[in-house]
Amino acid sequence: MRERSKTTWMERVLPTLSVIGFLIVWQLFVDIRQIPTIYLPSPLAIAKSFVSMTEDGSIFFHLSVTVLRIFAGFLVAAFAGIVMGLLMGMSRLFERVADPWIAALYPLPKISLIPLLIIWLGTGESYKIVISAVTAFFPIAMSTFAGVRQVDPGLIKAARDLGANPAQVQLNVVLPASIPSIFSGLQLGMGVAIILVVAAEMIGSSGQGGMGFLLINAGQVMDTERVFASLIVLTLMGAFIIKGQQWLDHKLAPWASFR
Amino acid sequence: MNIDVKDVRQVFSLRNGSEVVALEGFSHRFKSGQFTCILGPSGCGKSTLAQIVGGIEPATQGSVKIESEDRSSAPVPLGSDSVMVWQNQNLFPWRTILENVTFGLQMAGVSRAEREQKATRLINSVGLRGFEKHFPSQLSGGMRQRAALARALIMDRPILLMDEPFGALDAQTKIVMQEELLKIFEETRKTVIFVTHSIDEAILLGDQVIVMTARPGKIKEVITVDLPRPRSFDLVNTPDFGRLFDKAFHLIRDEVTKAMAEMNLVGAPS
Repeated sequence: MRERSKTTWMERVLPTLSVIGFLIVWQLFVDIRQIPTIYLPSPLAIAKSFVSMTEDGSIFFHLSVTVLRIFAGFLVAAFAGIVMGLLMGMSRLFERVADPWIAALYPLPKISLIPLLIIWLGTGESYKIVISAVTAFFPIAMSTFAGVRQVDPGLIKAARDLGANPAQVQLNVVLPASIPSIFSGLQLGMGVAIILVVAAEMIGSSGQGGMGFLLINAGQVMDTERVFASLIVLTLMGAFIIKGQQWLDHKLAPWASFR
Repeated sequence: MNIDVKDVRQVFSLRNGSEVVALEGFSHRFKSGQFTCILGPSGCGKSTLAQIVGGIEPATQGSVKIESEDRSSAPVPLGSDSVMVWQNQNLFPWRTILENVTFGLQMAGVSRAEREQKATRLINSVGLRGFEKHFPSQLSGGMRQRAALARALIMDRPILLMDEPFGALDAQTKIVMQEELLKIFEETRKTVIFVTHSIDEAILLGDQVIVMTARPGKIKEVITVDLPRPRSFDLVNTPDFGRLFDKAFHLIRDEVTKAMAEMNLVGAPS
């Protein structure tokens, strides 16, 4: 028993220690070797830059703009992707019609649509939301489709045997049975929505702000502390969103994690 | 309700274009209120027969008629008088035990209060009290099979089809479940078709045991089990049980050998 609890204690403390140790080594390395800030700022310099961005509120502005865009794009993609995936899975005709379109558009790197979308939509909000929605749509639709197709036929037989009609089978068996796949599609979709929003903000986003804009702007004026501080904020934002999504999935479908 | 099965033949088409005859010329009259076991080697089409009787799969040829004395109106589709208990239970993993048991009534539009009241009574009677809010994956195999039994019994249909329901359970759990099924049969006297590959299970439970041949599945012999009811597992130590066991064993030994030989043939590279 003592051996066991000792291990858990180590397991708990070591990850934190490794981060603190890394930061100390980094700080010492920059101080002793006198590395120019423009190449590699010290952790303390980055922290100072972060504090100044929170004091003038700019970080909160850029962060909230980016988060709003991510959610806007994601929600559009989630709705369209789930509907598309369900229709493809439940209707053979629909699947046949959708197949060539998906086959052609799924492997296309969505980022290559940016020039076209800027010509059509300009560099405003709609362009950023559309590019992230289009990108997130595919993994969500494909996972939903796969989930519907992989429903255990035994469950469908059992439901029919218990008197469910075809519509009841779709609603009460096929749909809930697909939920784990839909959720994993939504997680993939969220990941690419984050990437595409930040990328879109980097390209032609001078007026509207956002974390991508903040990064590219700081990079262009060689403000390396601000680049690092923004990167850290961006990392934390991504982690919070993905963890929050996992937490929500577990709350909504607790049975999925028992399997 | 009597079940009249006439000349049922079932053919499966394989992916490579060849055909497998699972059942051939199966005719039998399952009498109302009787417990009939179908005993046979793997691949003899015994599960297929249960699915045909339950209206879950259509037969390639032949007919199944459910005869009801008190039904004068138009015949109902096959399956509406029966309910199946599956070997792998087929419980819905996203529904709690209570929600699984109430599924059929919910589909039929029964009010929540009424269906939950009925389900709670059945859950208690199969010994799952306190597990209403659990998900199937949180229960053991035996408990899941109890839940599956409750989910079938709540439909209150006159015919109970059971496709190797205890096949995947460990030996002790199996005995407990068999005794419980005997008790339920005593109380409800449904017409039961019970598919199994276990000789002692078939004799312990059944009024009749239909011994099947290897593929293509035909009836080899029908053994009448004239052991008194109510029965319990102690029966397996009696001489009468031993006599019936020997009879069934000798009938089935050749068929199992044949089935194994055929499986080797199918498994061999062509």
